[in-house]
Amino acid sequence: MRITIDNLTKKFGDVVGVEDLTLHIDDGEFVAFLGPSGCGKTTTLLTLAGIYKPTEGQIRFGERVVNQVQPKDRNIGMVFQSYALYPHMTVFQNIAYPLKLKKVAKNIQRERVQQVANVMGIGNLLDRRPGQLSGGQQQRVALGRALVKEPDVLLFDEPLSNLDARLRLTMRGEIKHLQKDLGITSIYVTHDQVEAMTMADRIAVMNGGHLQAFDAPDELYSRPKTQFVAGFVGNPPMNFVSVEVSRSNGRFIAETDRLRLEVGGDRGGAAAGFAGAVVMGIRPEDIQISGDGDIAGEIYVVEPLGREDLIDVRVGPHSFLLLAGAETQYRAGEEVKLAFDMDKVQFFDPQTEKSILWQQ
Amino acid sequence: MAGAGSIEMGKIKEAPVAPPIRRDLLEALQTGAISMAVMLIAAIFFSRIIGPLFTLGNVEETVTDVLSRLLLLVMPYVAYIAAASVARRYTYIDTARALGLAFTTTLALFSVVSAGHYVSDTGVFAPRPALQMTLVQSDAGIRVESVVAGGAADLAGIQAGDVITAIRRDPVDLQAFNRRVSQSLEGDPLRLRFIRGDEELQETVRIVLLSGKHFNALLPGLAFALAFTAIIVFLPGQWAPYIALVGLLSPLLIGYFWVIVATFSFRTEGLVPLDGNDNFGGLTLKNWESIFVGNIAGLEFNIVPIFMTSLAIAVVMTFIVLLVSSMAGYALSRMNFPGRRFFLSFTLILHGFPAITLLIPIFFVLLRLGDIPFIGELIGFNTIGGIALVMVAFQLPLGVWLMKGFFDNIPWDMERSALIDGASRWRTYWEILLPQIRPGLLALGIFAFIGGWNAYIIPATYSIGSGVSNLPVFLEELIDATAPVDWNQVAAVGLFQLIPIFIFFIFAQEYLLNIYAGGAKGTS
Ligand SMILES: Nc1ncnc2c1ncn2[C@@H]1O[C@H](COP(=O)(O)OP(=O)(O)OP(=O)(O)O)[C@@H](O)[C@H]1O
Ligand SMILES: [Mg+2]
Repeated sequence: MRITIDNLTKKFGDVVGVEDLTLHIDDGEFVAFLGPSGCGKTTTLLTLAGIYKPTEGQIRFGERVVNQVQPKDRNIGMVFQSYALYPHMTVFQNIAYPLKLKKVAKNIQRERVQQVANVMGIGNLLDRRPGQLSGGQQQRVALGRALVKEPDVLLFDEPLSNLDARLRLTMRGEIKHLQKDLGITSIYVTHDQVEAMTMADRIAVMNGGHLQAFDAPDELYSRPKTQFVAGFVGNPPMNFVSVEVSRSNGRFIAETDRLRLEVGGDRGGAAAGFAGAVVMGIRPEDIQISGDGDIAGEIYVVEPLGREDLIDVRVGPHSFLLLAGAETQYRAGEEVKLAFDMDKVQFFDPQTEKSILWQQ
Repeated sequence: MAGAGSIEMGKIKEAPVAPPIRRDLLEALQTGAISMAVMLIAAIFFSRIIGPLFTLGNVEETVTDVLSRLLLLVMPYVAYIAAASVARRYTYIDTARALGLAFTTTLALFSVVSAGHYVSDTGVFAPRPALQMTLVQSDAGIRVESVVAGGAADLAGIQAGDVITAIRRDPVDLQAFNRRVSQSLEGDPLRLRFIRGDEELQETVRIVLLSGKHFNALLPGLAFALAFTAIIVFLPGQWAPYIALVGLLSPLLIGYFWVIVATFSFRTEGLVPLDGNDNFGGLTLKNWESIFVGNIAGLEFNIVPIFMTSLAIAVVMTFIVLLVSSMAGYALSRMNFPGRRFFLSFTLILHGFPAITLLIPIFFVLLRLGDIPFIGELIGFNTIGGIALVMVAFQLPLGVWLMKGFFDNIPWDMERSALIDGASRWRTYWEILLPQIRPGLLALGIFAFIGGWNAYIIPATYSIGSGVSNLPVFLEELIDATAPVDWNQVAAVGLFQLIPIFIFFIFAQEYLLNIYAGGAKGTS
């Protein structure tokens, strides 16, 4: 089912939930909504579900405008962060509830519930009540309940955020696999960017009720169109520093206090064409500690992450996060040389925070 | 030995270090003395400070006086309990020592109390009513062994060798005689019938108060105090709450016990059923029989319609209160509409409004309602519907607030989930939300049912002179119509009225337990 959202605005009195959102989602696509807390992800999802009525704009499922359609007539399945299971019903009754409401015959109900439960690995728990299940099992029940009626659209609102890290990893794979298998158009809300990057075909990054970017994960990562997207996507986050880019002897130099770096042709050209200071962004993995680096700095903090160490290096007033293999034995206070991979830097307009390199 | 015993019982793992004996004794004494002092001060505060204040305001007041005397009465025992609970702590080290400690302290506290009584001529040393002669029981009657020269008996002309047979015309033995004396006040006359030689004589003796300070009188008190302390020391700790509970509930329990005994007996004296000759016995089913026969001391009635009226009021009321409260509570909890805040605060004010003040205005409302054709017969003046309607109105503010609170606690997501699963709003309400607030519905239902079942003022006011009367109203009629009131009969009707409540509670309790044992608590 294609979902078309045009200029959607939802306000609660004066509070803006989401504003002027335009998004076209293809049939069978897995889209993640990514953004910090309070940016309007849940609001958008509930508006799609029909729980909220849009203040302005239009939502279409396929060709049908659904603005005024009741939730029950939209044929969607939704998994909530709190799971929202019905505590007074058994697992079987929970999963069967959507079928019961559709007036599916009893024996077919039983068959379908058992089938879905088996797929979810909870086939032996059907007689229990939600209160007697672990968080992960409840999660599977919620997922089973959303899937059982074979919805046209699946909505997930941070379904994994209450699980432990390990289980989250497993469920991540399972959900993605199921979605591809069934080919159901899905929207997955999360504020965990790893989840969004690994699962989604395309990611809609939101901030403060506005859509910041809507692109494939790789695109977002390597060609961020705004400074917000650049900073939000990627972990550890991108380093930003304000520089002046100038041209001298056919070469482009990015310069600021204690920093003087040569930038490659295309990127440097675009940045040099910009009048005044620009924001330069560079990802942690694009900075190396190396003997023949040309920037001198001092290690401020070393945070071991296991596979690698996250190192905060101070260069004069600037601070750079970078990654180094765990086998290296850097200490706080140590003087080091840094090498910047200047072919991967990003430049942003400090006023509009838009990318100077990639235009929308 | 006791120390080793407690180690075997596994209560302690290391050898306990016993504190020096004098320190624990001091602590126990101190605790006892402090609690005694506190109660003494409280007693003085009530009798000397609060009491006079009331008298100044020209208010006849005995509560403070009674309270003060009660405090003085229980003061020694509170002190024993306080001291013994200190001693208790040492039972795990050495039982004998703990007991010794408790006894020593009790003895000390007892001495202090007794000294106080001695000085102030109170307690065991209070002056006793006496007739100043020594008596022994003999076959013929009570024989006077000797009389105190110049004493009360002597003045009245009683001589040694007289045999007392009766006080006035009531025959007595020595025990009854002594009891009679000890219950008399100073100056009370006792007309004694006695035999001197062959003659039967009568003389009136007046009671005098003798402040004889007999130390022997202390012994029973001391024995009791020591036994009391020993019990406190050895009482298993987990019994304490039950003992406190039973102690506090005893007025209620005794009350119910009386009601039950009274309904099955001809006459009662205290808690003891008596027959026509004041002997134990006289059990009867008459009180219950007459309820069902429909004739009590000439008042004719039929209990069935009265019972049904009560039931109808209670059931109708419960049903409407639950329905309206839950729906209104849902709307107030979940929906935003103009006037919502006003409505909320207004119902709260209504809840605080005393119902009695509205009796007369509502009377007029019901009268007018009664004029409306058809509807008037359902909810007008002198109808069960009208009574239930008024009572429902008084119950609703509480109900609506209670239900709103319960709905507030249901997560929004559960409701949204049901809507998305394909349920209509109504269905979500009935199938998903109402089951979540079952405990609330049950609680409100119990309130409403009991309120309706026991309702008196409103049914009594709005069913004057009609056949409509429920059990409480009938009970009042019964008391009015019989003189002297047959309280055993009244108790039977009262207990009869309680039966459905008991049944209701038994079922409700099971249901409540089910709700909690079934793990129906929310998952989100
Ligand atoms: N029912 C409501 N009434 C008023 N304001 C609301 C309501 N629901 C959401 N908002 C506001 O709308 C904004 C967006 O909320 P939303 O729940 O969509 O955030 P979110 O992106 O889902 O955040 P989170 O990651 O914390 O779940 C917030 O500022 C929130 O306070
Ligand atoms: Mg949210």
